[in-house]
Amino acid sequence: MLVSALLLVGTVPHVVRAEVPFPDQVDRIIDAAHRRDGLQPAELADDEEFVRRVHLDLAGVVPTSVQARAFLEDSTEGKRVRLIDRLLAAPEFALQMARVFDAMLVERRVATIPSYDFKPAEWQGWLATAFRGNMSWDRLSTAVLKSDGADAKTAAAARFYLVRDVESHLLTRDIGRLFLGKDLQCAQCHDDPRIKAYRQSDYYGLYAFVSRLKHFRDDEKKLNFVTEKSGGDVSFTSAFSGEMGKTNPRLPGGEMIADPPLVKGKEYTVKPEKGRMGIPTYSRRQQLARQLPRGQTSGFSRNIANRLWALMLGRGLVHPLDMHHPENPPSHPELLERLGQRLEQSGFDIRGLLREIALTRTYQRSSRLPAGADPKRPSRSSEFAVAALRPLTPEQLGWSVLQVTGRLPSRIERFERKLQETAAKQAAEKKKPEKGQQQEETSRVATEPDDSNWRARQQAYTELASELSGLVGVFSRLPGQPDNGFQPSVDQALFLLNSEQMVKFMKDSQLLERLLRLEEKPGELVTELYLSVLSRAPVDEEQGEVARLFAAAADRDQRREVIRRIMWGLLVSAEFRLNH
Amino acid sequence: MQGQGQPTRQLPEDIGPVGQFMSRRGLLRSTLGGALGAAVAAADLRAAPAAVPFRKLLLLFLSGGASQLETFDPKPDSKYGGPFRPIATAVPGIQIGELLPHTATILDRLAVIRSVNTGETSHFRGHYLLQSGRTVPGYPVLGSAMAQLLERPDDELPGYVTMRRHHPQAYTDVGDAGFLGPRYEGVMIIDGKPPANLSRPESIDVAAATTRDRIRQLTNRRFLQQRTPRSIQSYTDSYRKAAALMRRREVFDLERESAADRARYGDHHFGRNCLLARRLLEAGVHCVKVAHHDWDAHFENFHWQRQRCLEFDRTFVTLLDDFRDRGLLEETLVVIMGEMGRTPRINYYGGRDHWGDAWSMAFTGCGIKPGVVLGKTNGLGTEVIDGAVDAGDLFHTILAAMGLDSTGNYQVGGRDNPIADPASSVIKEVLA
Repeated sequence: MLVSALLLVGTVPHVVRAEVPFPDQVDRIIDAAHRRDGLQPAELADDEEFVRRVHLDLAGVVPTSVQARAFLEDSTEGKRVRLIDRLLAAPEFALQMARVFDAMLVERRVATIPSYDFKPAEWQGWLATAFRGNMSWDRLSTAVLKSDGADAKTAAAARFYLVRDVESHLLTRDIGRLFLGKDLQCAQCHDDPRIKAYRQSDYYGLYAFVSRLKHFRDDEKKLNFVTEKSGGDVSFTSAFSGEMGKTNPRLPGGEMIADPPLVKGKEYTVKPEKGRMGIPTYSRRQQLARQLPRGQTSGFSRNIANRLWALMLGRGLVHPLDMHHPENPPSHPELLERLGQRLEQSGFDIRGLLREIALTRTYQRSSRLPAGADPKRPSRSSEFAVAALRPLTPEQLGWSVLQVTGRLPSRIERFERKLQETAAKQAAEKKKPEKGQQQEETSRVATEPDDSNWRARQQAYTELASELSGLVGVFSRLPGQPDNGFQPSVDQALFLLNSEQMVKFMKDSQLLERLLRLEEKPGELVTELYLSVLSRAPVDEEQGEVARLFAAAADRDQRREVIRRIMWGLLVSAEFRLNH
Repeated sequence: MQGQGQPTRQLPEDIGPVGQFMSRRGLLRSTLGGALGAAVAAADLRAAPAAVPFRKLLLLFLSGGASQLETFDPKPDSKYGGPFRPIATAVPGIQIGELLPHTATILDRLAVIRSVNTGETSHFRGHYLLQSGRTVPGYPVLGSAMAQLLERPDDELPGYVTMRRHHPQAYTDVGDAGFLGPRYEGVMIIDGKPPANLSRPESIDVAAATTRDRIRQLTNRRFLQQRTPRSIQSYTDSYRKAAALMRRREVFDLERESAADRARYGDHHFGRNCLLARRLLEAGVHCVKVAHHDWDAHFENFHWQRQRCLEFDRTFVTLLDDFRDRGLLEETLVVIMGEMGRTPRINYYGGRDHWGDAWSMAFTGCGIKPGVVLGKTNGLGTEVIDGAVDAGDLFHTILAAMGLDSTGNYQVGGRDNPIADPASSVIKEVLA
């Protein structure tokens, strides 16, 4: 089956592929598998499902009621494509990708000594800027693997090493997992007995790239760097067979990279001394940064293709994401191959591939089972026949709470106003010629609408982030652990029901005030409430329930209280908790 | 989808048709009717409860590293022996340090191992190694392992509770559940404080909470229509458990224990935490860890070991007596260990330093053969000369004493992962 699928890839002429839009190519592969297995896929998601899902995936937050309404009421052709494109171009996309790749690359780790790390906010800021400029995955990977913290522009990228205490074994494992999709951990001590493809020599080949790395702390400046020794060889012994090996840097499946001869006295361009970081003449880490992030590196394209697919669909074609090996083949080998090729052809354009995926019918399917689906044979998530119910990430959940309660939009608005005022003031001052010099200085403050858009959001999100740290902490998976699927825990439920933080969010809710203005029109009020929280209109039963609760409220204060309770009830529903 | 010829990968989320859990109507009734869910929302895919042994684990963790020479393995005739004398115990021919007079009288109830060789001298790595039986990071520690392996669908209380003080030298307790995930993370009690958010905030009265819950359930019910129920059920299940825990939050309240008991256990962290441990284990928590701090005596070791033993000795024996009298000991394994021992060599400051090569620990309770003293160190206490065991062996043994198959696997996220390190094995000599 695997073999024939691979053969198929090899025999499809290029012309055919060029004619069919890429999203359709994806759907054809998925559909063919459904037909083969006699599966009936779910209908396309309705607009209510779609608008919430696509906002969560591409903006990282549920839509506001205004956004949802605008989309739902739009009856023109092609509105989904337009929404996708708008979201991909918006500042929120870059911020969301920064969160996604932070979670992916740092995995919620904390350095053993937190001050020996790069500041998380600066690292996230660096990622956001990278995604704002749509930095390609190969360039991003290079930056992450290359940065030693010395160059101001990419210093924050050194966090990948620093947060792992520059510990060579941990780095080896995570470089394998996160960039190549291979968890070689068990091959540290011996060839992996369970996975034949994972050899101890592969592990140590990778290890040799980073074995010379060390943490360097500049105590005076209180800064942290990744430094490298000029020498140090890697040998290993199998804990099972006692066999020994010696290796130079080598990517799995690749050639060994010989070090240039070491000239005595010229080992370093900057000699390491007390208080000064050494820079070796030849750096194995530089080799890694140069050689790994390329299409020809086995696993590099497939890994990121699989991760981006999983990001949008809730499950990788290869699952778990870091278990690419022959005994764990992709659910759709041809599709993974195509996604990888697409990335390579586009120069590893992350945004581009996410767009293609978002346009597929596969992505846009409903999470409702198709009518007549046999409940005795529920669809497997690897079949992509029904949209997965995916838990919101801690950040999606937190920002969505702030979106719903109105805290986030009002903060963005405030910053937008401020920036507009500044811009207006500047425009007025521009007319006064005597202020010529200062003008240079201040005109960098956002006059472009796009730039002010970006800055307002970046500031709002940065400022509000501290309010979410409690929630994010409670909902995060454990440091350094891959995502294990949905694991709702009691302390999470308790947090949403009882925490002071939630009390505060619900108390200061702008949504409450907005809804109270509609108290004379309960029908509209209920619709607005459901649209704001769940991005959909209430059904009759819900209308009735809310009307009953309202009828019992005697005055404005009681009505406010009723709205608060309903709003809170909706926030703790499974419908809100899940991306569906 | 693989072709037919291929074996199906066993992924937890792929198993089980809807009907296996509960009919939809049944679920609705349970979410609607029994507000806080007397009914079992059995979205659980683990082994049938019948296979889960009814056993509990109490881990008394001597954090910082107790000195084996002042406790279970005295060397009175050695130049490294220190000032304290050995005393006779309830086991004929076996002596322990004079700092543990009460423990000496009940030594016939313990199994002591004097030949632990872990080689680990870092607090951080040691904490992890001794609790997980692994050097490779990412594995669950004992408490989380127990929370998972002993889990039952009708559990109301968390499976694992861990107690320590708030102090920078608490060393560990981050990410204890490893790849098992947050669900099996220990509920942490720091300085005796109960877990967060167990009570309804003042601004939410009963009526408000009821409305909120009605809306939640109404929304869930609609949402469940025509959807795969698993995630939805497990989410609603967490609310059922939250409600149960709120109802039973007094299990964390030590004030409910008698003043006499509190006095008997001792008015110090360790005493209070041990009493709380009794309370929690009786209430149905599967595993409790109590950290006893400050054994890390690089300076004035003899003063500190005496101090620590003074607290430990009396409380420990009080607890064992209590457990026996209440019938708890038959179903509870008690493990006494730290992350390392202390150097035989006495340093310039009268301290003993970090030491992993030859040190001691003890067990008692269910599954354990009492009165056994296993292993031997040399005359100076610098080397194990007989019966060496490592952290992996201890982990296997603890599992075996709990009635669990230590050669089994966790199945998490599509991977099989051996529960205990396959390179180590059970220490049969200490098992009943």
